[in-house]
Amino acid sequence: MRDIKIQVNDLSLYYGEKKALKEISLEIPANKVTALIGPSGCGKSTFLRCINRMNDLIPSVKITGELLVEGIDIYDKNVDVVNIRKKIGMVFQKSNPFPKSIYENIAYGPKINGVKDKTQLDEIVETSLRQAAIWDELKGRLGDSAMGLSGGQQQRLCIARTLAVSPDIILMDEPASALDPISTSKIEELVHVLKEQYTIIIVTHNMQQAARTSDYTAFFYMGELIEIGKTNTIFTKPEQKQTEDYITGRFG
Amino acid sequence: MATHFEIELEKLKNVIIKIGNLAEIQVSESVKALLSEPIEGKEVKKIENKIDKLDIKIDEICQSIFALQQPVASDLRFIMAAMQISNEIERIGDLAVSIINRSKNIKDKHDLIIKFEIGDLAKQVDEITLKTNECFLTRDEKTIGEIFVLNNTIKKKSDSAIHDIIAEMKSHSKTVVSGTNLVIVMKHLERIAEHCTNIAEYVHFMVNAKIIKHEKFDEKES
Repeated sequence: MRDIKIQVNDLSLYYGEKKALKEISLEIPANKVTALIGPSGCGKSTFLRCINRMNDLIPSVKITGELLVEGIDIYDKNVDVVNIRKKIGMVFQKSNPFPKSIYENIAYGPKINGVKDKTQLDEIVETSLRQAAIWDELKGRLGDSAMGLSGGQQQRLCIARTLAVSPDIILMDEPASALDPISTSKIEELVHVLKEQYTIIIVTHNMQQAARTSDYTAFFYMGELIEIGKTNTIFTKPEQKQTEDYITGRFG
Repeated sequence: MATHFEIELEKLKNVIIKIGNLAEIQVSESVKALLSEPIEGKEVKKIENKIDKLDIKIDEICQSIFALQQPVASDLRFIMAAMQISNEIERIGDLAVSIINRSKNIKDKHDLIIKFEIGDLAKQVDEITLKTNECFLTRDEKTIGEIFVLNNTIKKKSDSAIHDIIAEMKSHSKTVVSGTNLVIVMKHLERIAEHCTNIAEYVHFMVNAKIIKHEKFDEKES
């Protein structure tokens, strides 16, 4: 029986009067990769941002329903949202390294969480960069500016930065859409490795990427969850005709 | 470190090797059953069931790879060939089982086998099956060529043996039942060799991206 990390019950989101997510209910299994697919504007990125409460930053947003992470409703008023965003890391479509050295990019998160010991910081930096499969490329130049790295390297640095604060869940919003095929392949392979330790949710408009990288796939359309299932099943015998039409390219 | 996709391809390759080895055992047992004593049916049935299950497993793996990995070039050819090869191997297994069953109904089997020189033919079918498994493993062009030549030899010997068996049945009506079963066994042996040739053609396709099925023997040889 699979272990459930995130339980979503009747989650709806409004941008002002506009209902962007409509009574979403689903389960995200632990230590698996769940891909969210669907046409542009379907609500997949909006849903992703609900998981780490990034939508709180938008004044007109209202959310109803519940979103439980390990049984705790993260929208409960007693929940510390900063802690949520530490435990639920995020990697964005456009890589966003800090304008600092490679070392400082990784060490920044642990430092503001109270880690002061240099040896400990060094260890965290090395471990995080190794986990992101970029240690060998960067170990000799940790003092260099992160802004000088290639797009693919910057994105893996951002993943390492997320890992440095020991999250449980990693959210990825189209992490490879701005990258070349080789860098994309490295990110995808990294996702396979990372799921051993983390629960990963990835939004992608690239269906083939969803098929290659994920264990479960959720198809969204016009704010609704149409279908969720094992990726193998979604891409070989989906239950809903809309899902079949989307993945075969008949619409979207 | 192998990628996730490479691990899936290796898994598929290993399942095909496994099913090929099982079919080789079935063919070897069928030759034994034909040339010497009848063999235990339970073990044959067990292997047949294993072959059937692996055939289905190969279809499932290939379907999954097509849907999830979008293979191209040599990977695509490998998956396409894998599905066909599995099908051919499954048929070889069925034919071998049929030979084992029919061999029990051939009276005076040993005399007929000597009379129509079937011993060598049966051993060559054993040999072609072994070479077929080898050619999938090694993708060696020389082995593929040897399979085509061996198939041709088996076909000629089988035709000749069947001609002689029919002549015998015409002149001695007591041999009709045994003779008929033996003719069917000859055709089965011939079909096993043809399935092996088909597998060699798919291996050739995997390696050279060239489809040579339906080509005549002379064209294949070149």
